[in-house]
Amino acid sequence: MLDAQHIQYYIGNRPIVNRASIQVLPGELTAILGPNGAGKSTLFRLLSGELPCKQGRITYNGQPIKGMKTRKLASLRAVMPQHSTLTFPFQAKEVVSLGLMYSRPKYPKTIVKEVMSATQTWHLKEQLYGNLSGGEKQRVQLARVLAQIWEIKATPRYLLLDEPTSSMDIAQQHHIMQIIGQLKKRNIGILAILHDLNLAANYADKALLLKQGRVLRQGAIRAAMTPENLQGVFDYPLSVQSNGPGAPIYISSLPSSATSSTNYTYKLA
Amino acid sequence: MLQNLSYSKTAQQSLVLAALGIGLVLLGLLSITIGAFPIPFGHAVSILLSQLGIDSGTFTEQEANVLWQIRLPRILLAILVGGGLGVSGAALQGLFRNPLVEPGLIGVSSGGALFAVIFIVFGSSFPWLGRIFGSFSLPLVAFIGGLINVMLVYKMANQGGKTDISLLILAGVALTALSGALIGLAIFYADEAALRNFTFWSLGDVGGANWDKVKIAFILIFFPSLLIIKQFRNLNALAIGENEAFHMGVDVQRVKYIVLFMSALVVGVGVSMTGTIGFVGLIVPHLLRLSFGADHRLVLPGAFLLGAFLLNGADLLARTVVMPAELPIGIITAILGSPFFIWLILHVKKLNS
Repeated sequence: MLDAQHIQYYIGNRPIVNRASIQVLPGELTAILGPNGAGKSTLFRLLSGELPCKQGRITYNGQPIKGMKTRKLASLRAVMPQHSTLTFPFQAKEVVSLGLMYSRPKYPKTIVKEVMSATQTWHLKEQLYGNLSGGEKQRVQLARVLAQIWEIKATPRYLLLDEPTSSMDIAQQHHIMQIIGQLKKRNIGILAILHDLNLAANYADKALLLKQGRVLRQGAIRAAMTPENLQGVFDYPLSVQSNGPGAPIYISSLPSSATSSTNYTYKLA
Repeated sequence: MLQNLSYSKTAQQSLVLAALGIGLVLLGLLSITIGAFPIPFGHAVSILLSQLGIDSGTFTEQEANVLWQIRLPRILLAILVGGGLGVSGAALQGLFRNPLVEPGLIGVSSGGALFAVIFIVFGSSFPWLGRIFGSFSLPLVAFIGGLINVMLVYKMANQGGKTDISLLILAGVALTALSGALIGLAIFYADEAALRNFTFWSLGDVGGANWDKVKIAFILIFFPSLLIIKQFRNLNALAIGENEAFHMGVDVQRVKYIVLFMSALVVGVGVSMTGTIGFVGLIVPHLLRLSFGADHRLVLPGAFLLGAFLLNGADLLARTVVMPAELPIGIITAILGSPFFIWLILHVKKLNS
């Protein structure tokens, strides 16, 4: 389990992350949701070990992140930041194989091929990274990150994703979410910052609602993503619809002039 | 082009490195024979073999002396200094994530030169230095100068994990200017003996090579270069970004210190022996990246070999163009390097992709 207890992070006197506690279980996808400036990215960077966590405690599988060797941490979790730029002319497959730099698997070429096929980037393998489109770059980065934890192992591993679908078209977004969903079978726990509430509602197992650095609600999707909770987080009326357990969830918002009540419901044809 | 050849990547890399190595050896053999005092190729080989105890031909005493005391140390020194400049240029570009970085440009060379001059001029005031370090004193002092400058530039240009390229260049220019002014000041205060020493050093080139220098360069340039080359995997990861490299398990801080420290050592020692030689560290990594891709597995060792090749070639030109006189080698590298640098600035956007 990826476990954070009462973590805090201040810039000056302003709390960016305020006594947040989070659990990510292997085999589950947890979505972090919240408005801009809620502290999502800071929380993400604390959990990845990028920012030192001075107050509170973060553990991966029971081992505290504080004092853990960088290489050991890399064997437990992979991280995909929002943007990555490359300075030098690397090929896509060279970028992807970087994910294997310290894991030294038996069949590195097989893993590179598998993750690149899964992200639909195998046909780009010889291309220079700099010449790819935004969405292609993001999928290559995802392939690199997946390579780091692709080998099936007994120890639970974790994947942290900061808006993994931000430069993708709608089909690619669903495709990527499906790939991420399949990782759950590999004993991997996933934590993703997601902007698209519908993607979160229909692919994640749990949601974590963050506002002004505080965790307002954490739990199963249908319990956490209620219209009331979402409006409380985003300060905007949202409607949540579903035709019963197991059916897809639709979350929608309308121009504020069209909404009279906070719980406006919108019938889909 | 080359990427379309059917070699697997690593096979292609070994091939490129082998070709560079063979080219360097051939150029070395050629340089041994050419010069104001030509030595026939057969004689040169016989001299080299006789040193290994194999008697294989005739040569004159004079030929043996020129080859063994003048030409060979000179070639070996050019190999070590050029290789060191190449590999440190490649590693610094990787570390700063910027293709414009060059040991001369970011002040490493000028820092080394400043401290070398200070030692030459005022060294007699610190006799204990020479007692402890012997002939290593000058290279070590130059290394400290290079290290101070590279650390300063790094601190100034690096803000929040990102290197600001304009700050980097400005800091490098400022420190180079300051070092130049301080060199002038040191010379102003130099007495006659110190001045003579300084003149010899500044005209040094690789022409001042002897076996003592080669031995010191071997220890203080070749081994640190190997340590830099060992960082190839980490520098590849750093190309994606410092945070990303950390996520993949790279101890980023450690890599930074190794590369900065070893580059300052390699460049500082080189400067202390040959004076500042520009542009080798800039051109060499680029030629490799443009031709064979950015993988540091190839770029780092390749930069050593190509840097060695280039400086040797420049030295061969320097001592043959106006034979029997010699041009300073820095003139040759600058004539080749400056136009390349201008081309690079104009195309830097493309290279950044």
